[in-house]
Amino acid sequence: MANQICFYEKVDLSFDPHPTPTTLRKVESSLQAIANRPVGELVRFENVGLRYGVGTETLTDVSFSIEPQSFQFLTGASGTGKTTLLRLIMQALRPTRGMIALFGQDTSQLNKDGLTALRRRMGIVFQDFRLLDHLTTYENVALPLKVQGREEATYRAEVTELLHWVGLGDLMHVTPAVLSGGEKQRASIARALVAQPELLLADEPTGNVDPSLARRLLRLFVEMNRSGTAILIATHDLSLMDQIDGARRLVLADRRLYIASGHD
Amino acid sequence: MTNSREHTQTGLLSYLRSIPLFRRDPLVAADPVTDRALISVIAIMTFLAAMTAGAAQFAASTTSHWQVLMASEVTVQLKPQGNRPIEADIVRASDILRGTSGVTSVKVFSREESSKLLEPWLGSASAIEGLPIPRLIAVRIDAAEPPNLTALGKAIADVAPGASLDDHRNWTRRLERISDLFMIASLSALFLVLAATGLAIVFATRGAMAGNREIIEVLHFIGADDRYIAAQFQRHFAVLGIRGGVIGGLIALVLLITLRLVGSSSVGLFDGNGFSGLALPGSEMMLATMLVISLVGLVAGVASRITVYRTIGRLA
Repeated sequence: MANQICFYEKVDLSFDPHPTPTTLRKVESSLQAIANRPVGELVRFENVGLRYGVGTETLTDVSFSIEPQSFQFLTGASGTGKTTLLRLIMQALRPTRGMIALFGQDTSQLNKDGLTALRRRMGIVFQDFRLLDHLTTYENVALPLKVQGREEATYRAEVTELLHWVGLGDLMHVTPAVLSGGEKQRASIARALVAQPELLLADEPTGNVDPSLARRLLRLFVEMNRSGTAILIATHDLSLMDQIDGARRLVLADRRLYIASGHD
Repeated sequence: MTNSREHTQTGLLSYLRSIPLFRRDPLVAADPVTDRALISVIAIMTFLAAMTAGAAQFAASTTSHWQVLMASEVTVQLKPQGNRPIEADIVRASDILRGTSGVTSVKVFSREESSKLLEPWLGSASAIEGLPIPRLIAVRIDAAEPPNLTALGKAIADVAPGASLDDHRNWTRRLERISDLFMIASLSALFLVLAATGLAIVFATRGAMAGNREIIEVLHFIGADDRYIAAQFQRHFAVLGIRGGVIGGLIALVLLITLRLVGSSSVGLFDGNGFSGLALPGSEMMLATMLVISLVGLVAGVASRITVYRTIGRLA
Protein backbone atom coordinates (compact mmCIF):
# COMPACT_ATOMS: atom_id res chain seq x y z
CA MET A 1 0.00 0.00 0.00
CA ALA A 2 0.99 3.64 -0.35
CA ASN A 3 1.78 4.07 3.33
CA GLN A 4 4.44 1.37 3.18
CA ILE A 5 7.73 2.62 4.66
CA CYS A 6 10.79 2.27 2.54
CA PHE A 7 14.37 2.78 3.81
CA TYR A 8 17.35 3.73 1.76
CA GLU A 9 20.92 4.32 2.74
CA LYS A 10 22.62 7.70 2.38
CA VAL A 11 25.93 7.42 0.55
CA ASP A 12 28.35 10.35 0.22
CA LEU A 13 30.45 10.20 -2.94
CA SER A 14 31.76 13.79 -2.87
CA PHE A 15 35.26 12.79 -1.75
CA ASP A 16 35.53 9.51 -3.53
CA PRO A 17 36.27 9.91 -7.26
CA HIS A 18 36.93 6.16 -7.60
CA PRO A 19 34.18 4.35 -5.71
CA THR A 20 34.62 0.69 -4.87
CA PRO A 21 32.18 -1.94 -6.18
CA THR A 22 30.66 -2.12 -2.71
CA THR A 23 30.00 1.62 -2.73
CA LEU A 24 28.53 1.40 -6.21
CA ARG A 25 26.21 -1.41 -5.11
CA LYS A 26 25.09 0.76 -2.20
CA VAL A 27 24.43 3.65 -4.61
CA GLU A 28 22.51 1.39 -6.95
CA SER A 29 20.47 -0.06 -4.12
CA SER A 30 19.72 3.41 -2.73
CA LEU A 31 18.64 4.72 -6.13
CA GLN A 32 16.35 1.71 -6.55
CA ALA A 33 14.87 2.41 -3.13
CA ILE A 34 14.30 6.04 -4.11
CA ALA A 35 12.56 4.92 -7.29
CA ASN A 36 10.35 2.56 -5.27
CA ARG A 37 9.59 4.97 -2.47
CA PRO A 38 5.94 5.44 -1.63
CA VAL A 39 4.19 8.28 -3.34
CA GLY A 40 3.42 11.16 -1.07
CA GLU A 41 0.26 12.25 -2.78
CA LEU A 42 -2.11 10.06 -4.71
CA VAL A 43 -3.58 12.97 -6.65
CA ARG A 44 -2.19 16.43 -7.26
CA PHE A 45 -3.91 19.16 -9.28
CA GLU A 46 -2.02 22.38 -9.99
CA ASN A 47 -3.90 25.28 -11.57
CA VAL A 48 -6.00 22.92 -13.61
CA GLY A 49 -8.48 24.45 -16.02
CA LEU A 50 -10.95 22.70 -18.27
CA ARG A 51 -12.89 24.16 -21.14
CA TYR A 52 -15.34 22.31 -23.36
CA GLY A 53 -15.00 23.65 -26.90
CA VAL A 54 -14.50 27.40 -27.11
CA GLY A 55 -16.75 28.50 -24.23
CA THR A 56 -15.74 29.69 -20.78
CA GLU A 57 -13.86 27.34 -18.49
CA THR A 58 -15.94 24.78 -16.61
CA LEU A 59 -13.22 24.52 -13.99
CA THR A 60 -10.72 27.27 -13.29
CA ASP A 61 -7.41 27.14 -11.40
CA VAL A 62 -8.25 24.01 -9.49
CA SER A 63 -5.44 23.03 -7.12
CA PHE A 64 -5.62 20.32 -4.48
CA SER A 65 -4.08 17.05 -3.48
CA ILE A 66 -5.30 13.76 -2.03
CA GLU A 67 -3.13 12.02 0.55
CA PRO A 68 -2.94 8.27 1.08
CA GLN A 69 -5.58 6.87 3.46
CA SER A 70 -7.44 10.20 3.51
CA PHE A 71 -11.21 10.58 3.40
CA GLN A 72 -12.81 13.52 1.59
CA PHE A 73 -16.04 14.62 0.07
CA LEU A 74 -16.33 16.53 -3.18
CA THR A 75 -19.41 18.67 -3.02
CA GLY A 76 -21.16 21.54 -4.70
CA ALA A 77 -24.46 22.36 -6.32
CA SER A 78 -25.62 20.43 -9.36
CA GLY A 79 -23.72 21.41 -12.49
CA THR A 80 -20.71 22.85 -10.69
CA GLY A 81 -18.40 20.18 -12.13
CA LYS A 82 -18.18 17.38 -9.56
CA THR A 83 -18.41 14.64 -12.14
CA THR A 84 -16.09 16.59 -14.46
CA LEU A 85 -13.48 16.76 -11.71
CA LEU A 86 -13.79 13.03 -11.10
CA ARG A 87 -13.44 12.39 -14.82
CA LEU A 88 -10.27 14.44 -14.81
CA ILE A 89 -8.87 12.28 -12.01
CA MET A 90 -9.83 9.06 -13.76
CA GLN A 91 -8.29 10.44 -16.96
CA ALA A 92 -11.50 10.29 -18.95
CA LEU A 93 -10.86 13.97 -19.70
CA ARG A 94 -7.64 15.88 -20.31
CA PRO A 95 -7.27 19.33 -18.76
CA THR A 96 -7.08 22.36 -21.01
CA ARG A 97 -4.29 23.71 -18.83
CA GLY A 98 -2.50 23.01 -15.59
CA MET A 99 -0.86 19.85 -14.30
CA ILE A 100 -2.40 16.66 -12.96
CA ALA A 101 -0.19 14.10 -11.24
CA LEU A 102 -1.48 10.70 -10.20
CA PHE A 103 0.54 8.54 -7.84
CA GLY A 104 3.47 10.86 -8.41
CA GLN A 105 3.34 10.71 -12.20
CA ASP A 106 2.58 13.65 -14.46
CA THR A 107 -0.36 12.40 -16.51
CA SER A 108 0.55 14.53 -19.54
CA GLN A 109 3.55 12.21 -20.01
CA LEU A 110 1.56 8.99 -19.73
CA ASN A 111 1.28 6.50 -22.55
CA LYS A 112 -1.60 4.01 -22.79
CA ASP A 113 0.12 1.31 -20.78
CA GLY A 114 1.03 3.82 -18.08
CA LEU A 115 -2.56 5.03 -17.94
CA THR A 116 -3.83 1.46 -17.60
CA ALA A 117 -1.36 0.84 -14.78
CA LEU A 118 -2.60 3.95 -12.93
CA ARG A 119 -6.24 3.04 -13.41
CA ARG A 120 -5.55 -0.33 -11.83
CA ARG A 121 -4.61 1.52 -8.64
CA MET A 122 -7.98 3.30 -8.59
CA GLY A 123 -11.49 2.07 -7.96
CA ILE A 124 -14.43 3.91 -9.46
CA VAL A 125 -18.07 3.90 -8.41
CA PHE A 126 -20.19 5.44 -11.13
CA GLN A 127 -23.32 7.40 -10.45
CA ASP A 128 -25.22 5.19 -12.91
CA PHE A 129 -23.46 2.00 -11.69
CA ARG A 130 -22.16 1.01 -15.15
CA LEU A 131 -22.62 -2.69 -14.48
CA LEU A 132 -22.44 -4.91 -17.56
CA ASP A 133 -25.99 -6.13 -18.02
CA HIS A 134 -25.09 -9.47 -19.61
CA LEU A 135 -22.81 -10.52 -16.74
CA THR A 136 -23.82 -11.84 -13.34
CA THR A 137 -23.13 -9.87 -10.18
CA TYR A 138 -20.17 -12.15 -9.47
CA GLU A 139 -18.76 -11.66 -12.98
CA ASN A 140 -19.23 -7.89 -12.76
CA VAL A 141 -17.45 -7.66 -9.42
CA ALA A 142 -14.63 -9.97 -10.55
CA LEU A 143 -14.08 -8.00 -13.75
CA PRO A 144 -11.17 -5.78 -12.53
CA LEU A 145 -9.26 -8.91 -11.52
CA LYS A 146 -10.17 -10.75 -14.70
CA VAL A 147 -8.91 -7.94 -16.96
CA GLN A 148 -5.61 -8.04 -15.09
CA GLY A 149 -5.20 -11.55 -16.46
CA ARG A 150 -5.71 -13.38 -13.17
CA GLU A 151 -7.07 -16.91 -13.27
CA GLU A 152 -10.51 -17.29 -11.71
CA ALA A 153 -9.25 -19.87 -9.22
CA THR A 154 -6.98 -17.23 -7.67
CA TYR A 155 -9.76 -14.75 -6.92
CA ARG A 156 -12.96 -16.76 -6.62
CA ALA A 157 -12.84 -16.90 -2.83
CA GLU A 158 -12.05 -13.23 -2.28
CA VAL A 159 -14.78 -12.07 -4.71
CA THR A 160 -17.31 -14.31 -3.00
CA GLU A 161 -16.24 -13.00 0.40
CA LEU A 162 -16.51 -9.40 -0.77
CA LEU A 163 -19.98 -10.04 -2.17
CA HIS A 164 -21.08 -11.45 1.19
CA TRP A 165 -19.50 -8.43 2.91
CA VAL A 166 -21.59 -6.00 0.84
CA GLY A 167 -24.70 -8.12 1.38
CA LEU A 168 -24.96 -9.57 -2.10
CA GLY A 169 -23.96 -13.12 -1.26
CA ASP A 170 -27.35 -14.47 -2.26
CA LEU A 171 -27.48 -12.46 -5.46
CA MET A 172 -24.08 -13.23 -6.96
CA HIS A 173 -25.48 -15.38 -9.76
CA VAL A 174 -28.13 -13.01 -11.04
CA THR A 175 -27.76 -10.32 -13.67
CA PRO A 176 -28.14 -6.61 -12.83
CA ALA A 177 -31.59 -6.60 -14.43
CA VAL A 178 -33.07 -8.21 -11.31
CA LEU A 179 -31.15 -6.07 -8.80
CA SER A 180 -32.66 -3.06 -7.04
CA GLY A 181 -30.98 0.36 -7.23
CA GLY A 182 -29.30 -0.14 -3.87
CA GLU A 183 -28.10 -3.63 -4.78
CA LYS A 184 -26.67 -2.34 -8.04
CA GLN A 185 -24.91 0.40 -6.12
CA ARG A 186 -23.41 -2.13 -3.70
CA ALA A 187 -22.29 -4.32 -6.63
CA SER A 188 -20.71 -1.25 -8.20
CA ILE A 189 -18.91 -0.46 -4.94
CA ALA A 190 -17.75 -4.07 -4.61
CA ARG A 191 -16.36 -3.94 -8.14
CA ALA A 192 -14.47 -0.77 -7.28
CA LEU A 193 -13.04 -2.33 -4.12
CA VAL A 194 -12.21 -5.82 -5.30
CA ALA A 195 -8.73 -4.98 -6.57
CA GLN A 196 -7.92 -3.22 -3.26
CA PRO A 197 -7.27 0.17 -4.86
CA GLU A 198 -5.20 2.87 -3.23
CA LEU A 199 -7.78 5.46 -4.23
CA LEU A 200 -11.53 5.09 -4.51
CA LEU A 201 -13.59 7.62 -6.48
CA ALA A 202 -17.34 7.51 -5.96
CA ASP A 203 -19.76 9.68 -7.89
CA GLU A 204 -22.98 10.21 -5.93
CA PRO A 205 -22.86 6.69 -4.51
CA THR A 206 -25.92 7.31 -2.34
CA GLY A 207 -27.89 9.28 -4.88
CA ASN A 208 -30.24 6.43 -5.74
CA VAL A 209 -30.81 4.90 -2.33
CA ASP A 210 -32.86 5.62 0.77
CA PRO A 211 -31.20 7.28 3.81
CA SER A 212 -30.91 4.03 5.71
CA LEU A 213 -29.09 2.29 2.88
CA ALA A 214 -27.01 5.44 2.31
CA ARG A 215 -25.71 5.14 5.88
CA ARG A 216 -24.86 1.48 5.33
CA LEU A 217 -23.04 2.27 2.10
CA LEU A 218 -21.12 5.00 3.86
CA ARG A 219 -20.04 2.46 6.46
CA LEU A 220 -18.58 0.41 3.62
CA PHE A 221 -16.46 3.36 2.52
CA VAL A 222 -15.33 4.02 6.08
CA GLU A 223 -14.31 0.38 6.45
CA MET A 224 -12.33 0.58 3.24
CA ASN A 225 -10.68 3.78 4.36
CA ARG A 226 -9.66 2.13 7.64
CA SER A 227 -8.02 -0.65 5.67
CA GLY A 228 -5.87 1.89 3.82
CA THR A 229 -7.81 3.15 0.79
CA ALA A 230 -8.10 6.90 0.21
CA ILE A 231 -11.70 7.85 -0.50
CA LEU A 232 -13.17 10.68 -2.55
CA ILE A 233 -16.95 10.79 -2.61
CA ALA A 234 -18.73 13.29 -4.83
CA THR A 235 -22.08 14.17 -3.29
CA HIS A 236 -24.41 17.07 -2.67
CA ASP A 237 -25.95 15.34 0.32
CA LEU A 238 -24.98 17.46 3.35
CA SER A 239 -26.41 14.99 5.83
CA LEU A 240 -24.18 12.31 4.42
CA MET A 241 -21.10 14.48 4.86
CA ASP A 242 -22.09 15.30 8.43
CA GLN A 243 -21.86 11.62 9.32
CA ILE A 244 -18.08 11.54 8.92
CA ASP A 245 -16.23 13.67 11.42
CA GLY A 246 -13.00 15.19 10.21
CA ALA A 247 -13.48 14.38 6.54
CA ARG A 248 -12.14 17.07 4.24
CA ARG A 249 -14.62 18.82 1.99
CA LEU A 250 -13.66 19.92 -1.49
CA VAL A 251 -16.33 22.41 -2.46
CA LEU A 252 -16.93 23.41 -6.06
CA ALA A 253 -18.54 26.79 -6.62
CA ASP A 254 -18.20 29.41 -9.34
CA ARG A 255 -15.96 27.08 -11.35
CA ARG A 256 -13.39 27.05 -8.56
CA LEU A 257 -12.50 24.57 -5.84
CA TYR A 258 -12.47 25.56 -2.16
CA ILE A 259 -11.10 23.25 0.51
CA ALA A 260 -12.56 23.06 3.98
CA SER A 261 -11.60 20.77 6.81
CA GLY A 262 -14.28 18.54 8.24
CA HIS A 263 -14.72 20.88 11.18
CA ASP A 264 -15.27 24.07 9.15
CA MET B 1 -17.57 -19.28 -11.13
CA THR B 2 -20.70 -20.37 -9.36
CA ASN B 3 -20.96 -23.52 -7.33
CA SER B 4 -23.22 -25.13 -9.89
CA ARG B 5 -20.95 -23.96 -12.67
CA GLU B 6 -17.96 -25.35 -10.83
CA HIS B 7 -19.52 -28.76 -10.96
CA THR B 8 -20.56 -28.56 -14.61
CA GLN B 9 -17.45 -26.93 -16.01
CA THR B 10 -15.24 -29.92 -15.49
CA GLY B 11 -13.77 -32.59 -17.69
CA LEU B 12 -14.81 -32.47 -21.32
CA LEU B 13 -16.73 -29.21 -20.99
CA SER B 14 -13.74 -27.43 -19.46
CA TYR B 15 -11.58 -28.79 -22.22
CA LEU B 16 -14.05 -27.61 -24.88
CA ARG B 17 -14.25 -24.20 -23.23
CA SER B 18 -10.49 -23.89 -23.54
CA ILE B 19 -10.80 -24.15 -27.33
CA PRO B 20 -11.32 -20.66 -28.82
CA LEU B 21 -14.18 -21.83 -31.08
CA PHE B 22 -16.24 -22.94 -28.08
CA ARG B 23 -14.94 -20.56 -25.42
CA ARG B 24 -17.39 -18.09 -23.91
CA ASP B 25 -16.48 -14.51 -24.55
CA PRO B 26 -18.74 -12.87 -22.00
CA LEU B 27 -17.30 -9.37 -22.20
CA VAL B 28 -18.74 -8.82 -25.66
CA ALA B 29 -22.48 -8.65 -25.29
CA ALA B 30 -23.72 -11.07 -27.93
CA ASP B 31 -26.52 -9.88 -30.21
CA PRO B 32 -28.08 -13.14 -31.43
CA VAL B 33 -29.84 -11.53 -34.40
CA THR B 34 -26.72 -9.73 -35.67
CA ASP B 35 -24.50 -12.72 -34.97
CA ARG B 36 -26.81 -15.09 -36.82
CA ALA B 37 -27.10 -12.69 -39.77
CA LEU B 38 -23.32 -12.38 -39.93
CA ILE B 39 -22.83 -16.16 -39.79
CA SER B 40 -25.40 -16.54 -42.61
CA VAL B 41 -23.69 -13.92 -44.79
CA ILE B 42 -20.29 -15.53 -44.26
CA ALA B 43 -21.69 -19.00 -44.89
CA ILE B 44 -23.16 -17.82 -48.22
CA MET B 45 -19.90 -16.07 -49.14
CA THR B 46 -17.89 -19.17 -48.28
CA PHE B 47 -20.23 -21.34 -50.30
CA LEU B 48 -19.86 -19.06 -53.33
CA ALA B 49 -16.09 -18.85 -52.87
CA ALA B 50 -15.80 -22.63 -52.53
CA MET B 51 -17.92 -23.19 -55.64
CA THR B 52 -15.86 -20.63 -57.55
CA ALA B 53 -12.62 -22.30 -56.46
CA GLY B 54 -14.16 -25.67 -57.32
CA ALA B 55 -15.21 -24.44 -60.77
CA ALA B 56 -11.72 -23.06 -61.43
CA GLN B 57 -10.13 -26.30 -60.34
CA PHE B 58 -12.65 -28.25 -62.43
CA ALA B 59 -11.87 -26.17 -65.54
CA ALA B 60 -8.13 -26.52 -65.01
CA SER B 61 -8.35 -30.30 -64.55
CA THR B 62 -10.66 -30.79 -67.50
CA THR B 63 -8.49 -28.67 -69.79
CA SER B 64 -5.39 -30.50 -68.68
CA HIS B 65 -7.14 -33.83 -69.23
CA TRP B 66 -8.23 -32.79 -72.73
CA GLN B 67 -4.75 -31.54 -73.53
CA VAL B 68 -3.27 -34.89 -72.63
CA LEU B 69 -5.87 -36.66 -74.78
CA MET B 70 -5.22 -34.34 -77.74
CA ALA B 71 -1.48 -34.55 -77.40
CA SER B 72 -1.63 -38.34 -77.69
CA GLU B 73 -3.57 -38.32 -80.95
CA VAL B 74 -2.96 -36.85 -84.42
CA THR B 75 -5.11 -36.96 -87.54
CA VAL B 76 -4.04 -37.47 -91.12
CA GLN B 77 -6.42 -36.02 -93.67
CA LEU B 78 -6.27 -37.05 -97.32
CA LYS B 79 -8.07 -34.87 -99.85
CA PRO B 80 -9.07 -36.39 -103.15
CA GLN B 81 -6.65 -35.31 -105.93
CA GLY B 82 -8.50 -35.50 -109.29
CA ASN B 83 -8.36 -39.04 -110.67
CA ARG B 84 -5.62 -40.21 -108.34
CA PRO B 85 -6.80 -43.34 -106.48
CA ILE B 86 -7.24 -42.26 -102.88
CA GLU B 87 -7.41 -45.81 -101.48
CA ALA B 88 -3.86 -46.48 -102.67
CA ASP B 89 -2.68 -43.24 -101.02
CA ILE B 90 -4.36 -44.33 -97.79
CA VAL B 91 -2.60 -47.69 -97.84
CA ARG B 92 0.78 -46.03 -98.47
CA ALA B 93 0.22 -43.45 -95.74
CA SER B 94 -0.96 -46.16 -93.30
CA ASP B 95 2.10 -48.25 -94.01
CA ILE B 96 4.39 -45.33 -93.24
CA LEU B 97 2.49 -44.60 -90.03
CA ARG B 98 2.55 -48.21 -88.83
CA GLY B 99 6.26 -48.40 -89.51
CA THR B 100 7.06 -45.28 -87.51
CA SER B 101 8.43 -45.60 -84.00
CA GLY B 102 6.23 -43.88 -81.41
CA VAL B 103 2.95 -44.61 -83.22
CA THR B 104 0.85 -46.95 -81.09
CA SER B 105 -2.24 -47.44 -83.29
CA VAL B 106 -3.59 -46.43 -86.70
CA LYS B 107 -7.30 -46.36 -87.51
CA VAL B 108 -8.39 -45.67 -91.07
CA PHE B 109 -11.86 -44.23 -91.42
CA SER B 110 -13.70 -45.88 -94.31
CA ARG B 111 -15.59 -43.77 -96.86
CA GLU B 112 -18.87 -44.60 -95.09
CA GLU B 113 -17.47 -43.55 -91.71
CA SER B 114 -16.11 -40.31 -93.17
CA SER B 115 -19.48 -39.61 -94.83
CA LYS B 116 -21.20 -40.22 -91.50
CA LEU B 117 -19.00 -37.59 -89.87
CA LEU B 118 -20.18 -35.08 -92.46
CA GLU B 119 -23.85 -35.98 -92.09
CA PRO B 120 -24.67 -33.16 -89.65
CA TRP B 121 -23.58 -30.60 -92.22
CA LEU B 122 -24.23 -32.23 -95.62
CA GLY B 123 -27.11 -34.58 -95.01
CA SER B 124 -27.42 -38.37 -95.41
CA ALA B 125 -24.66 -40.46 -96.93
CA SER B 126 -26.68 -41.20 -100.05
CA ALA B 127 -27.00 -37.47 -100.83
CA ILE B 128 -23.20 -36.99 -100.88
CA GLU B 129 -22.31 -40.26 -102.52
CA GLY B 130 -20.88 -38.61 -105.62
CA LEU B 131 -18.88 -35.93 -103.81
CA PRO B 132 -15.11 -36.14 -103.27
CA ILE B 133 -15.03 -36.82 -99.52
CA PRO B 134 -11.72 -36.27 -97.64
CA ARG B 135 -10.57 -39.37 -95.77
CA LEU B 136 -9.21 -39.52 -92.26
CA ILE B 137 -6.68 -41.65 -90.46
CA ALA B 138 -6.74 -41.42 -86.65
CA VAL B 139 -3.28 -42.04 -85.22
CA ARG B 140 -2.53 -42.66 -81.56
CA ILE B 141 0.98 -41.84 -80.50
CA ASP B 142 3.05 -42.51 -77.43
CA ALA B 143 2.89 -39.21 -75.53
CA ALA B 144 6.05 -40.16 -73.63
CA GLU B 145 8.11 -40.84 -76.77
CA PRO B 146 6.27 -39.16 -79.65
CA PRO B 147 7.53 -39.47 -83.24
CA ASN B 148 8.92 -36.46 -85.12
CA LEU B 149 5.62 -35.15 -86.42
CA THR B 150 7.15 -32.71 -88.92
CA ALA B 151 9.20 -35.46 -90.57
CA LEU B 152 6.24 -37.83 -90.43
CA GLY B 153 3.95 -35.30 -92.11
CA LYS B 154 6.55 -34.71 -94.85
CA ALA B 155 7.01 -38.46 -95.43
CA ILE B 156 3.25 -38.97 -95.81
CA ALA B 157 2.91 -35.99 -98.14
CA ASP B 158 5.67 -37.48 -100.33
CA VAL B 159 3.79 -40.74 -100.91
CA ALA B 160 0.28 -39.23 -100.83
CA PRO B 161 0.05 -35.74 -102.29
CA GLY B 162 -2.85 -33.87 -100.70
CA ALA B 163 -2.31 -35.55 -97.33
CA SER B 164 -1.81 -33.35 -94.28
CA LEU B 165 -1.06 -34.16 -90.65
CA ASP B 166 -2.95 -32.26 -87.96
CA ASP B 167 -1.40 -32.43 -84.47
CA HIS B 168 -4.26 -30.33 -82.92
CA ARG B 169 -1.74 -27.72 -81.78
CA ASN B 170 -4.11 -24.84 -82.57
CA TRP B 171 -6.88 -26.42 -80.50
CA THR B 172 -4.55 -27.06 -77.59
CA ARG B 173 -3.38 -23.45 -77.62
CA ARG B 174 -6.95 -22.18 -77.66
CA LEU B 175 -7.87 -24.48 -74.82
CA GLU B 176 -4.92 -23.24 -72.83
CA ARG B 177 -5.96 -19.65 -73.43
CA ILE B 178 -9.58 -20.32 -72.46
CA SER B 179 -8.43 -22.21 -69.38
CA ASP B 180 -6.14 -19.36 -68.34
CA LEU B 181 -8.91 -16.79 -68.80
CA PHE B 182 -11.34 -18.92 -66.81
CA MET B 183 -8.77 -19.33 -64.05
CA ILE B 184 -8.16 -15.55 -63.88
CA ALA B 185 -11.91 -14.89 -63.79
CA SER B 186 -12.39 -17.49 -61.06
CA LEU B 187 -9.54 -16.18 -58.92
CA SER B 188 -10.88 -12.63 -59.33
CA ALA B 189 -14.32 -13.78 -58.22
CA LEU B 190 -12.75 -15.62 -55.28
CA PHE B 191 -10.82 -12.50 -54.30
CA LEU B 192 -13.99 -10.36 -54.53
CA VAL B 193 -15.97 -12.83 -52.43
CA LEU B 194 -13.22 -12.86 -49.78
CA ALA B 195 -13.09 -9.05 -49.88
CA ALA B 196 -16.88 -8.91 -49.40
CA THR B 197 -16.53 -11.31 -46.45
CA GLY B 198 -13.85 -9.07 -44.94
CA LEU B 199 -16.07 -6.01 -45.38
CA ALA B 200 -19.02 -7.79 -43.75
CA ILE B 201 -16.79 -8.56 -40.75
CA VAL B 202 -15.49 -4.98 -40.66
CA PHE B 203 -18.98 -3.46 -40.59
CA ALA B 204 -20.24 -5.98 -38.05
CA THR B 205 -17.23 -5.38 -35.80
CA ARG B 206 -17.59 -1.61 -36.02
CA GLY B 207 -21.29 -1.84 -35.32
CA ALA B 208 -20.73 -4.11 -32.34
CA MET B 209 -18.02 -1.87 -30.93
CA ALA B 210 -20.17 1.21 -31.32
CA GLY B 211 -23.00 -0.66 -29.58
CA ASN B 212 -20.64 -1.76 -26.82
CA ARG B 213 -19.00 1.64 -26.43
CA GLU B 214 -20.11 1.96 -22.83
CA ILE B 215 -18.74 -1.47 -22.01
CA ILE B 216 -15.42 -0.56 -23.58
CA GLU B 217 -15.31 2.62 -21.52
CA VAL B 218 -16.04 0.73 -18.31
CA LEU B 219 -13.39 -1.85 -19.17
CA HIS B 220 -10.85 0.93 -19.66
CA PHE B 221 -11.75 2.50 -16.30
CA ILE B 222 -11.40 -0.76 -14.42
CA GLY B 223 -7.93 -1.29 -15.80
CA ALA B 224 -8.31 -3.24 -19.03
CA ASP B 225 -5.78 -2.34 -21.68
CA ASP B 226 -6.48 -2.06 -25.39
CA ARG B 227 -4.93 -5.44 -26.09
CA TYR B 228 -7.29 -7.18 -23.68
CA ILE B 229 -10.41 -5.44 -25.00
CA ALA B 230 -9.36 -5.94 -28.62
CA ALA B 231 -8.76 -9.64 -28.00
CA GLN B 232 -12.33 -10.03 -26.72
CA PHE B 233 -13.90 -8.49 -29.83
CA GLN B 234 -11.41 -10.06 -32.20
CA ARG B 235 -12.06 -13.53 -30.86
CA HIS B 236 -15.82 -13.02 -30.97
CA PHE B 237 -15.83 -12.08 -34.65
CA ALA B 238 -13.12 -14.49 -35.74
CA VAL B 239 -15.14 -17.32 -34.20
CA LEU B 240 -18.30 -16.09 -35.95
CA GLY B 241 -16.32 -15.98 -39.21
CA ILE B 242 -15.00 -19.50 -38.76
CA ARG B 243 -18.47 -20.79 -37.87
CA GLY B 244 -19.94 -19.21 -41.01
CA GLY B 245 -17.01 -20.48 -43.07
CA VAL B 246 -17.39 -24.04 -41.82
CA ILE B 247 -21.16 -24.03 -42.49
CA GLY B 248 -20.80 -22.61 -46.02
CA GLY B 249 -17.83 -24.83 -46.77
CA LEU B 250 -19.61 -27.97 -45.60
CA ILE B 251 -22.63 -27.19 -47.80
CA ALA B 252 -20.26 -26.66 -50.74
CA LEU B 253 -18.49 -29.95 -49.96
CA VAL B 254 -21.79 -31.83 -49.83
CA LEU B 255 -22.78 -30.34 -53.20
CA LEU B 256 -19.40 -31.20 -54.73
CA ILE B 257 -19.58 -34.78 -53.47
CA THR B 258 -23.13 -35.07 -54.85
CA LEU B 259 -21.90 -33.73 -58.21
CA ARG B 260 -19.13 -36.29 -58.15
CA LEU B 261 -21.52 -39.15 -57.47
CA VAL B 262 -24.03 -37.98 -60.11
CA GLY B 263 -21.18 -37.29 -62.56
CA SER B 264 -19.69 -40.75 -62.07
CA SER B 265 -22.98 -42.44 -62.90
CA SER B 266 -23.45 -40.11 -65.91
CA VAL B 267 -20.05 -41.11 -67.26
CA GLY B 268 -21.11 -44.72 -67.00
CA LEU B 269 -24.29 -44.00 -68.95
CA PHE B 270 -22.92 -41.67 -71.59
CA ASP B 271 -19.36 -42.81 -71.96
CA GLY B 272 -18.22 -42.15 -75.48
CA ASN B 273 -20.77 -39.36 -76.02
CA GLY B 274 -18.85 -36.44 -74.64
CA PHE B 275 -18.73 -36.94 -70.83
CA SER B 276 -15.67 -39.17 -70.67
CA GLY B 277 -13.29 -36.22 -70.89
CA LEU B 278 -14.71 -34.41 -67.82
CA ALA B 279 -12.59 -34.19 -64.69
CA LEU B 280 -15.13 -34.84 -61.94
CA PRO B 281 -14.87 -33.20 -58.48
CA GLY B 282 -12.08 -35.01 -56.74
CA SER B 283 -9.80 -34.69 -53.77
CA GLU B 284 -8.21 -31.52 -55.23
CA MET B 285 -11.58 -29.81 -55.21
CA MET B 286 -12.18 -30.91 -51.63
CA LEU B 287 -8.80 -29.50 -50.70
CA ALA B 288 -9.66 -26.26 -52.51
CA THR B 289 -12.85 -26.03 -50.40
CA MET B 290 -10.88 -26.61 -47.21
CA LEU B 291 -8.48 -23.90 -48.32
CA VAL B 292 -11.39 -21.50 -48.87
CA ILE B 293 -12.73 -22.22 -45.36
CA SER B 294 -9.28 -21.50 -43.94
CA LEU B 295 -9.03 -18.32 -46.01
CA VAL B 296 -12.42 -17.13 -44.76
CA GLY B 297 -11.32 -17.76 -41.16
CA LEU B 298 -8.09 -15.89 -41.82
CA VAL B 299 -9.89 -12.97 -43.47
CA ALA B 300 -12.36 -12.83 -40.57
CA GLY B 301 -9.55 -12.78 -38.01
CA VAL B 302 -7.46 -10.17 -39.81
CA ALA B 303 -10.43 -7.93 -40.67
CA SER B 304 -11.76 -7.96 -37.10
CA ARG B 305 -8.27 -7.36 -35.65
CA ILE B 306 -7.60 -4.33 -37.85
CA THR B 307 -11.08 -2.91 -37.24
CA VAL B 308 -10.94 -3.46 -33.49
CA TYR B 309 -7.60 -1.71 -33.09
CA ARG B 310 -8.65 1.23 -35.26
CA THR B 311 -12.01 1.62 -33.54
CA ILE B 312 -10.71 1.17 -30.02
CA GLY B 313 -8.23 3.99 -30.53
CA ARG B 314 -11.09 6.26 -31.55
CA LEU B 315 -13.36 5.19 -28.68
CA ALA B 316 -10.56 5.56 -26.11
